[in-house]
Amino acid sequence: MRVNLIRPILIPFPLGIPGFFKTLVDHEVTVELKNDISIKGILKSVDQFLNIKLDDIQVVEELKYPHLSSVKNVFIRGSVVRYVHLPSAAVDTALLEDATRREAASQASKPR
Amino acid sequence: MADSGDVDAAAVSEPLDLVRLSLDEIVFVKLRGDRELKGRLHAYDSHCNLVLGDVEETIYVVEDDDDEEETVRTLKKQSEMLFVRGDSVVLISPQAAS
Amino acid sequence: MENLSLQDLPPAGGPNHVQPALGGPPQLPPQMFTTAAQLLDLTDKKLLLVLRDGRKLIGVLRSWDQFANLVLQETIERIFVEDVYADIVRGIYLVRGENVLLLGEIDLDKDEYVPEPFRKVSAEEAHALKIKQTQDRKEPDKIRAKKLQELGFEAEHSGEILF
Repeated sequence: MRVNLIRPILIPFPLGIPGFFKTLVDHEVTVELKNDISIKGILKSVDQFLNIKLDDIQVVEELKYPHLSSVKNVFIRGSVVRYVHLPSAAVDTALLEDATRREAASQASKPR
Repeated sequence: MADSGDVDAAAVSEPLDLVRLSLDEIVFVKLRGDRELKGRLHAYDSHCNLVLGDVEETIYVVEDDDDEEETVRTLKKQSEMLFVRGDSVVLISPQAAS
Repeated sequence: MENLSLQDLPPAGGPNHVQPALGGPPQLPPQMFTTAAQLLDLTDKKLLLVLRDGRKLIGVLRSWDQFANLVLQETIERIFVEDVYADIVRGIYLVRGENVLLLGEIDLDKDEYVPEPFRKVSAEEAHALKIKQTQDRKEPDKIRAKKLQELGFEAEHSGEILF
């Protein structure tokens, strides 16, 4: 039991935004693209370019985007994403801010 | 950049340091595509990718009314937690909580 | 045509195997999180490809690389306009990665399903409608861009008709 209590402090939060996304795998997210399509689905994977794979997708305005009706999962190129709407319950904001500060510090100590 | 051993947490020596000081504070973000956001900053990286909480999004849309005159209307949307891709970000400004 | 031996499916430990170590033990194996791993699942599947200019291609993914450059076989282009659609046979396509917007795996149970109001027409008919629609949109788009520019906004993707 005591081990479980201190565990959250011992697990280092993965660095970087891709690392943050990895903690959200298997959660439902909505990806909004720069061309205004919104696709809701289960986050399956994210890579270093923030390319995103979603399962069991649902397009928010189906009739506007009929070509996606028979599609079950998508690979979205990172560069076309505008937003990803996340479930706030799945995000530990204090841990995330801490990881961001640590990353900023490691960036600052790098020579340019 | 001359980085001495003592990394002052409050030092602002490069633009993104201002963003770092805004962590856990309310920020205003202007985006490409006629959009603005206001929300609490939880994360950012060197590409200006952001994670914001309790976000209010304002979208500017142009509407045709009856007499051929176009008016600009704003549309508000809320989001509990939002990742914003950095290449859409135009500016980030710290805001006093209101 | 069918016997193309595009046997260049990169092995999992191929050139894009380099995955920087994360700041700690990752919860899931890092090799799951490369572009290669994401595309590997989609290889030899029937896919829908949406391009940056709004085109929709349907074909079988035969090859790809870390930039998401793709080779599609038995490609058709599907044009949607107003309440009609049309298919044009295109053959083999190599698509440069930066033009890819998204890639969707087609559910074979729902294959070729197109929702209600849309009906199939000839390619010529759909094409003519599309040209007209593009023309009709130009003027309002210009007015809109001008109006928003007065407010200090800049178009997100100038010069592209994204759809």
